[in-house]
Amino acid sequence: MLELTRITAGYDRRDPVVREVSLHVAAGEAVGLLGPSGCGKSTLAKVAALLHRPDAGTVTLDGTVVRGWRHRAPREQRTAVGVVFQQPRLSADPRLSLRELIAQPLRSTGRRRDVPERVAELAPLVGLSEELLERRPHAVSDGQLQRACLARALVLEPRLLICDEMTAMLDASTTAALVAVVERYRSESGAALLAVGHDRVLLERWCDRTVRWGERTAGSERVAVG
Amino acid sequence: MAETALALPGRTTRRVRIVTSATIVIAVALAVLVVPPLAQLDQQAVDLANKLDPPSWAHPFGTDDVGRDLLLRCVYGLRVSLLVGLVAALTATVIGTAIGALAGAFGGWTDRVVMRVVDALSSVPHLLLGIFIVAMFRPGVWPVIISVALTHWLSTARIVRSEVLSLRSRPFIDAAVSGGASRTRVIVRHLLPGVLPQAGLAAVLMVPHAMWHESALSFLGLGLPAHQASLGNLVQSARGSLLAGDWWPTLFPGLFLIIPTLALAGLAGAWRDRINPRRKSELML
Amino acid sequence: MTSDHDPAAEGAEVPVLAVENLSVRFRMRGGRDIAAVTDARFSVAPGECLALVGESGCGKSVLASALLGLLPGNAETTGSAVLGGDTDLLTADERTLARTVRGRRIGLVPQSPAAHLTPVRTVRAQVEESLRELTGVRGSALGKAALVAAARAAFPEGHLDRYPHELSGGLAQRAATALALIGDAPLLLADEPTTGLDRDLVERTVDELRRHTDEGRALLIITHDLAAAERIADRVAVMYAGRIVEIADAAPFFGAPGPRHPYARGLLDALPERDFAPIPGMPPELGALPDGCAFAARCAYADARCTDERPAFASDLACHHAPTGRTHPLKEAADA
Repeated sequence: MLELTRITAGYDRRDPVVREVSLHVAAGEAVGLLGPSGCGKSTLAKVAALLHRPDAGTVTLDGTVVRGWRHRAPREQRTAVGVVFQQPRLSADPRLSLRELIAQPLRSTGRRRDVPERVAELAPLVGLSEELLERRPHAVSDGQLQRACLARALVLEPRLLICDEMTAMLDASTTAALVAVVERYRSESGAALLAVGHDRVLLERWCDRTVRWGERTAGSERVAVG
Repeated sequence: MAETALALPGRTTRRVRIVTSATIVIAVALAVLVVPPLAQLDQQAVDLANKLDPPSWAHPFGTDDVGRDLLLRCVYGLRVSLLVGLVAALTATVIGTAIGALAGAFGGWTDRVVMRVVDALSSVPHLLLGIFIVAMFRPGVWPVIISVALTHWLSTARIVRSEVLSLRSRPFIDAAVSGGASRTRVIVRHLLPGVLPQAGLAAVLMVPHAMWHESALSFLGLGLPAHQASLGNLVQSARGSLLAGDWWPTLFPGLFLIIPTLALAGLAGAWRDRINPRRKSELML
Repeated sequence: MTSDHDPAAEGAEVPVLAVENLSVRFRMRGGRDIAAVTDARFSVAPGECLALVGESGCGKSVLASALLGLLPGNAETTGSAVLGGDTDLLTADERTLARTVRGRRIGLVPQSPAAHLTPVRTVRAQVEESLRELTGVRGSALGKAALVAAARAAFPEGHLDRYPHELSGGLAQRAATALALIGDAPLLLADEPTTGLDRDLVERTVDELRRHTDEGRALLIITHDLAAAERIADRVAVMYAGRIVEIADAAPFFGAPGPRHPYARGLLDALPERDFAPIPGMPPELGALPDGCAFAARCAYADARCTDERPAFASDLACHHAPTGRTHPLKEAADA
């Protein structure tokens, strides 16, 4: 499903955050990527989601080598991957209601007519009431907003879901609830999962296998040490 | 909800400021929009018998050197100045927002080139550049508007660009890209609406700027032709009488320029307070 | 000071902080009221760590802000929060709070240390400034005192001349802790000190806070991280929808027989190392709390009484189904 080969990426070519990292996620598989904060795993997640162009290395998605990132990636390739980020507050356009937030990918891909139906399907799945759907981000809690962000990532039925520290800001119950939503979606759709995080207990419980950041990186000496 | 949390300025002070500013702006707008069409008075009516009369009941602002009523002249002058200011500020804001948004959204080389051009233009004094632009055309309203617009979009472009840059790195833009949004859609649906309050604020703050720019040009004799008397023209034509000790022909047009300027700035300030306060409700959610 | 954490043994001492019936209301535009904290009652003794746990939005951060006198102007507080038996934090004026309380009698360990430190000044400059302000040390003694202060929070001497952005998350946390300790405050208040840190760092941060507690300080830690709470706390207070629903000793709470309040049980069961099962539903809005028990809508044990009548907070528990005693009457039924 996803094959990252010797990826080097970062924000400054002279000092990349990710060095020569390889990672494989098979179709339908759930892989947990474990690493300390600040080690570059979020950057790798963005590379995998075609949101950040790596300096070197190749990304293969569904057997196709990725040639462009962000807007240069074909829309079908981009939307095959759903992403959920760590901080729901920053991941939501503050002007949009939760309903619009969830509907955005449908509108972007010309499926406006599907909005009522898909939102009505997803909202109960992630536990959002009709009343909450009408609110804007500042009027809901982090947990409720993250539920909407997860629904947004699922609305186009991605074949790969990337969860970058999805639950780091959330309490135990909301964490368990969101993981249950992801797992239910995966069991119904057969989608693969790359869950990035620092909580070993959580990722080991959630994923089929976990990979430790240091194990796969040649540049592991750069990993920040507290 | 959050306002009470902000210590300065106090709620009452702020309310007084907003009400005063709004009253002045409304009064000025009514004066310049309603009075001229309704009044059967001719601002050009020359009355050489009463030239340079000091303020009186018949002529509250006095008369000028050919006996024209100054109150009427000021209202008409403000009408011209305000219209030029509004149109010019709007044009400058549209140009600035478009260029700033493009530079910020595309980044890279586009951004670097555009911003260097902005820097280069900013390094030339506005008035000098403005004079250069009006000098290329025949005197009239449009050359003045073009002159103001072309010299005033720079700051808006800077503001919009930096806002776009800070929004662009937010994960919600990543989420939109991942959801299949095109570049245009990201700019139009997510970036521009986010910067509009700032751009709008810049536009309001720019109206007084534009009015002053126009007045300066007119004062130098490069702005509007004499028959379209703006406040700048009025001050300019009153220079001679000031030397003779007749203060009213300069004072009243000057006040007509300063008071709406302050009122507009006051309203813009209130708007800025409104779009800025952190919503304290987020703190508890 | 004592290193004995048996709360019973400490019963005779004057608590460092005694909170009685503390409520915080936010008056919102349009006459709406938000009951962020209602009737909170707890105390913290010297050498004791109380962990206030609950999900985000339950009102625990508002409680912390209330104790520091940092609530926005539209907040109304009632009740009392007496520090050291003499100062009521809720009625003290801003001058008293600024001059004698914050830093001197309450040390704040912040949520995001990197943001808490001044970005343009080195750690040494900030430590020295706090020393000057809080202890009055001047001149040549200052340098030495800064080293001592840094060492107390295990902040490495070699990093003192660095700027906050040059520090890793762990070191920034230690720098912030060093600053919090300078005034030798008898009460440390840690507001979500482990958010966003990875597990190793959480454990190290928490262990260091525990060490400062063992030196005789009282520690009130506010967190949604149950694993961190389990590692550090002597007692746990569980907050739900603005109310404290259970206060318990940490050992029986996390071990056997477990929490008594159904919400607390649900929260623990949601941990990935336990059942990993979420509590159904979501907490109610603080602006529209039900008349009865706020948890009733999500509670498997709820009956008509729960939805009609709000359970009183008695014997450190607010639940109709366990009026007294250690064990939950329905626990056996649920386990069976």
